[in-house]
Amino acid sequence: METQMETQFAMNTFVKETGGYVASQLEACTRCGICAEACHFYQATSNPEFAPVWKIELLKRAYEQRFTLTGKAKLALGIDKPITDADLHHFSKIVYEACTMCNKCSMVCPMGIQLGPLIHEVRTAFSEACVVPDDLMAAVNKQVKEGSPLGVTDDVYADRMEWVADEWEVELPMDVKGADTLVVFSSIEVMKFPENIAAIAKILHAAGEKWTLSQKGREVVNFGFYEGSPERTKLFISRVFDAAKELGVKKIVVTECGHAYDALRWTSYNIMDVPEGIEITHIVGLIGEYVRSGKIKLKEGAYNNGTLTFHDACKIQRRGGHIQEPREILNIIALESFKEMTPNREESICCGGGGGVIAIKEADPIRYAAFELKIDQMMKVGAKMVVMGCSNCRLQFTDCVQHFNLDVKVAGLSQMVADALEE
Amino acid sequence: MPAFTITPVEKGILRCHHTGPFSHEDVRPLAGFLHDYRGKLLIDLRGSRIEEFARNIREFQPMMPTTAIFGAKIDPVLLKIPESYYTHEVCFFETEEEALTWLRNQ
Repeated sequence: METQMETQFAMNTFVKETGGYVASQLEACTRCGICAEACHFYQATSNPEFAPVWKIELLKRAYEQRFTLTGKAKLALGIDKPITDADLHHFSKIVYEACTMCNKCSMVCPMGIQLGPLIHEVRTAFSEACVVPDDLMAAVNKQVKEGSPLGVTDDVYADRMEWVADEWEVELPMDVKGADTLVVFSSIEVMKFPENIAAIAKILHAAGEKWTLSQKGREVVNFGFYEGSPERTKLFISRVFDAAKELGVKKIVVTECGHAYDALRWTSYNIMDVPEGIEITHIVGLIGEYVRSGKIKLKEGAYNNGTLTFHDACKIQRRGGHIQEPREILNIIALESFKEMTPNREESICCGGGGGVIAIKEADPIRYAAFELKIDQMMKVGAKMVVMGCSNCRLQFTDCVQHFNLDVKVAGLSQMVADALEE
Repeated sequence: MPAFTITPVEKGILRCHHTGPFSHEDVRPLAGFLHDYRGKLLIDLRGSRIEEFARNIREFQPMMPTTAIFGAKIDPVLLKIPESYYTHEVCFFETEEEALTWLRNQ
């Protein structure tokens, strides 16, 4: 009986989500398969099940069997099979472990189908049916209970911030009412890359920004978004919005995290009331603005030694459009050493660790396989250093550079900017 | 005098020997080293006083690679951080031999 319940929950969600927009997207697909060639997991493994169009197969089948005459007839005649619990479990592995929601597939679709958001709808149905990988759900539950998927509780956050302030000798303003800008870090930065906190603080102070951190709105990562649960996505976003409203800020700056930026900047508008008059931006965009306006000055050629390349993060560059800013910055601080990988900008290949994939142990083999595409790209330009503006990508690069024993340094853009600030 | 020295033990393992109190000039390069280092780490606390390293060993732990620590009594609470997908195993041992044996098997 329990297994039938799973399918029922998933089917209800599929049906609930299938409005005119989703139906038109599903009807528009010609099964041309071009999306497969855009998917890094398909490219790396040639597994046809990793083709983006296959990842929405259950949504398509549910739509046809519930809403189309042909689908109903095929089901009645036994030509098509009804969706089963076994299908849910099988596809759960595919949509959570072999998809980073990078949305490159949507860019190449000749019919303009938004495959990424459709795959997200499938994740939503799986979330309702409770067929989400255990590792991912463990992180989600931790974020519900402790406020952070990486265990950054109130105490850990306060302790960590005090350590960074002491050892990097930076001021980290906390809960300052009347500040213009609320800066929200990801727990990956707090735990794994604490010098990013110091670097961003240094940049903000140099630019004369009136900013603050918030104890309450301390976590920008959103594992509810990875899971596909609108309720939990909303819960985690609301912690940040509530903090922003209480502090009366005009701007929220998402630091080096891509999916958090998507959740806060765009997804929020589709699932909840977003506080009016608060701009949401990404640290890469903000630093770019500081450089363009002359609020900060950077040392020319500070990183001119050894070839350096830039990894475009899916949610910051492709989705967020912050494509020029990092290039303008690197063309100042690394004019002679900066080389582009191919493809780049909005056509960049995902690192393979986004969308919650890096948190799922069972996904490690395909995560590493997908990263081999990045290795090829880096090797072709002879990169000795790779820079990015997303700490989740940075975690994936750091882990994979170790896994493949590569002689490549991995760096965050903010940290490089902070180290290249003119006094 | 720097708070630590880093020397090779064998292929894939470096020793980080704590030698005195940490200053800012020690913490920042150590953070940089932990980000760039790709191997395993042997932390040698012989001759150290707990008050000299307690705070930093706790704060550095989330950034550590697979690490074996020996040479001084450590409160296990110091090494307790939330388990997560990004962390590596960090264990305490009574002797250098035990620490190295464990590290070689990781």
